[in-house]
Amino acid sequence: MNKRYVMVHDENKCIGCQACNVACRSENQVPDGVTRLQVRVEGPYGEVPDLHFKFDRVSCQQCENAPCVKVCPTGAAYVNDDGIVTINHEKCIGCQYCIAACPYKVRFINPVTLTADKCNFCTDTRLARGEQPACVTVCPTNALVFGDANDANSDVSKLLNSAPTYREKVHLGTQPRVYRIPARKGGIEA
Amino acid sequence: MIKLDRRAFLKGAGATGASCALTGVIPGSIAAVGAPALSGSAEAVPSICEMCSTRCPISARVVDGKTVFIQGNTEAKSFGGKVCARGGAGHSLLYDPQRIVKPMKRVGERGEGKWQTISWEQAYSEIATKLNELKSKYGPETVVFSSKSGSEHTYLFDLAKAFGSPNTLTHLTTCPVGMEVASDVMFGTGMKRDIGNSRYVINFGHNLYEGLDMSESRALMRAQMDKHAKLVVFDPRFSMVAAKSDEWLPIRPGTDIAVALAISHVLIEEKLFDKAFVDQYVEGFEPFASQMAEYTPEWAESLSDVPAKDIRRIARELAQAAPHAMINSGHRSTFTPEELDFRRAIFAVNVLLGNIERKGGYFMGKKAATYNKFAGEAVAPELAKPGVNIPKPNAKRIDQMDEQYALLWKMGGIYQSIIDTVNTNKPYAIHGWVMTRTNPMQTMTDRAKVEQALKQMDLVVCCDLYVSETAAYADYFLPECTYLERDEEVKDKSGKNPAYYVRQQVVDVIGDTKPAWQIFRELGVKLGLEQYFPWEDVQTLQLAQVNKDDALLKQIKHKGYVSYGVPLMLREPEMVAAFTAKFANARPVDEDGTYGSALKFKTASGKIELYSEEVEKIAPGRGAIKYRDVSFKQSNELYFIQGKVAVHTNAGTQQVPFLANLMSDNAVWIHPETAAKHGIKTGDNIRLTSSVGSEIGQALVTKGIRPDTVFAYMGFGSKNQESIRISDKGVHCGNLLPHVTAPVCGACVHTTGVKLEKV
Repeated sequence: MNKRYVMVHDENKCIGCQACNVACRSENQVPDGVTRLQVRVEGPYGEVPDLHFKFDRVSCQQCENAPCVKVCPTGAAYVNDDGIVTINHEKCIGCQYCIAACPYKVRFINPVTLTADKCNFCTDTRLARGEQPACVTVCPTNALVFGDANDANSDVSKLLNSAPTYREKVHLGTQPRVYRIPARKGGIEA
Repeated sequence: MIKLDRRAFLKGAGATGASCALTGVIPGSIAAVGAPALSGSAEAVPSICEMCSTRCPISARVVDGKTVFIQGNTEAKSFGGKVCARGGAGHSLLYDPQRIVKPMKRVGERGEGKWQTISWEQAYSEIATKLNELKSKYGPETVVFSSKSGSEHTYLFDLAKAFGSPNTLTHLTTCPVGMEVASDVMFGTGMKRDIGNSRYVINFGHNLYEGLDMSESRALMRAQMDKHAKLVVFDPRFSMVAAKSDEWLPIRPGTDIAVALAISHVLIEEKLFDKAFVDQYVEGFEPFASQMAEYTPEWAESLSDVPAKDIRRIARELAQAAPHAMINSGHRSTFTPEELDFRRAIFAVNVLLGNIERKGGYFMGKKAATYNKFAGEAVAPELAKPGVNIPKPNAKRIDQMDEQYALLWKMGGIYQSIIDTVNTNKPYAIHGWVMTRTNPMQTMTDRAKVEQALKQMDLVVCCDLYVSETAAYADYFLPECTYLERDEEVKDKSGKNPAYYVRQQVVDVIGDTKPAWQIFRELGVKLGLEQYFPWEDVQTLQLAQVNKDDALLKQIKHKGYVSYGVPLMLREPEMVAAFTAKFANARPVDEDGTYGSALKFKTASGKIELYSEEVEKIAPGRGAIKYRDVSFKQSNELYFIQGKVAVHTNAGTQQVPFLANLMSDNAVWIHPETAAKHGIKTGDNIRLTSSVGSEIGQALVTKGIRPDTVFAYMGFGSKNQESIRISDKGVHCGNLLPHVTAPVCGACVHTTGVKLEKV
């Protein structure tokens, strides 16, 4: 059976420290001025003393039904067998259709390669070496869990079976593969 | 994947720095002199981080010959193989165009930003000549040597002593001194926290989710998420730790002590404290209890705005969870001049809970010698302390003017006493200042006085990676190599059981930079003090540490972090049982299944002292833990408070490219009601004016701050033009805080009053 890589971001454990952001930049040599991953700390919402922040992981959602792939005129954007939305940089002509199509606004033109770029779960770097993605590796509070959702025994499968999760903009039919465990404090603006 | 060449990496690592070529390049910087290609280990090298003072065990490797990936060393379990943003970004300073890689000499006025590069030989010989001149003209004690705490302070302070100056000062009084002195006075030693096993944690502004300490921050999250511990946070600001708490109480700045005392009041009044523990281990309980009688929750409410009913309820909940419950003793920020009694009040509650040497409470570090004694065998190797016998200088240290600070004399000293000498020349005038990896322009208070002190010196020498705000006033700049480029001695990292770890070189040295041990050794040799520097390299020193046990050294270096035995807390029956099961010759357990009878304190009475004869002697009237009124501000002013952010370390990392890109400014947090009164909106320029300085910054209007308080993250608003990435961005906290030294513990105080206006 094919792998189906997914990630879970636990917003209770996330402290918005940007360790993930920096590790991603280091491992994937992401140039200044653009980013594959950040956690936006938004708020505080609510009234004193019952305030809360929202911790929003902003990165490619690895959609099963990816709008970026549909609009790519050259086939540079595709969904790999393991479910990771991937870019063939040789085929990318930098037309930016994918950037316009992405409902999550997480694609960009890499100023060095001049091709489209985004989070790919470190598929060509850490996954290729049998390691966990950079963000998962360093996350101080273990807020990120990554793995194969088709493997019932994987940590990520067990977590998805036991914890309440939500995904962003599911009404668009994109079927994102980044799941979020909502913070027990405060509402969700999904 | 498209291949990046090193040029691209350089551009990526420091694109912001590239613009410095247009505005004036510092002669000794990478932008001016270039740098060789990255070369280093493709295999992961275990080492020690230096992006903050936690010094986490890390593992780093060169990836594709182009960049360095840093993560935590998985051998160190409590650190979990993790690293924060600062730790992960450490490599971005390697090729930062702003980094200084050649020794430099000032050619303009102090602080004017005019430099020329010189050779190490010229730097050493000119500095040595000037130091010897000062020595013969004024005496060796007129040169001060200061450093952040770390391995380098040992090397610099050895040089100071060998030179004949008693004036060695660490950053202690700008950081955790209150907690350390309080602990020393009450327990006779430092106390460690076992947050991970706590079921109830009260936190007075110790922001562990922004002031990250990897082991403790992880422990707190583990306690909260896995053990469902309750976290109660008292903080005038909705900090990250407040955001993650079960209960946030926006306390009036500087009044935390009143709430801590009132918690003791409730525990005693309602007999919720551990009487057996107090009877066996505590000295001075009766007078302490009668003193606490007046500190009712209602009284605390009148000062702190924390409702009395909440204080009572929280005290009861805390007692319910005891002994696996604690009030966190905190770290850096000094909220009040009554710092000593605030920290003592916190420790007193912990003592009443009987959480000492219990899971979820406090414990003493178990180094090899102690641990082996309990085990009845040599479980962990004991390291030798291959020191050098340097005669103690005769003169008094400059912070020895006032007897009340006598406790500090055996510690790092009162850093800010250097600015006291400027106007008074007491106990004598200071003529030289040699410092390494410290930025007092930011971390001390009253920046104008620090500037005056620097300008008044005959000689200022700074060793650093960047021209910091302080280094901008140096006569000589000595470029240290980064922690990724150097080996150092083996360090003790013992907690509940013994552990060692070591810093190791990951990449080749870049430019004409050197490790601190070598810089101060070579300067010592130039001063004719070679006899005090017997270690020609780190390897020799390491071998002496391990008593020439080469196999042991290899093991420590191979794993990078080695721990021995099982965790031990003396009064925790479960842990003592596991310990005795493991070690056949272990000390016999007491009747109650613990090592409680072995728990002794290095105080005069041998017990935990709730009243200190020692403090009473040096500061009459201060032996007992008491509340004293403090005035922080005028009635038309707001409280100004400051704190840490997760992506920077105090005033030490603002120039690091990756981190500067994440945050290079500190907006001022203002409550919507306060903002409305002044017609201020988010993004507006505002001015804060205190009794010593005025700063212009940007407003961030947020409900996450009390209406009577404004907040800014520390370390920003640098005023030297060399730090192009950060100069004049944000408000400079050190320029707003007046020079106030807390009684007895000597801490710089971090709360003051400011006037707010829109500009």
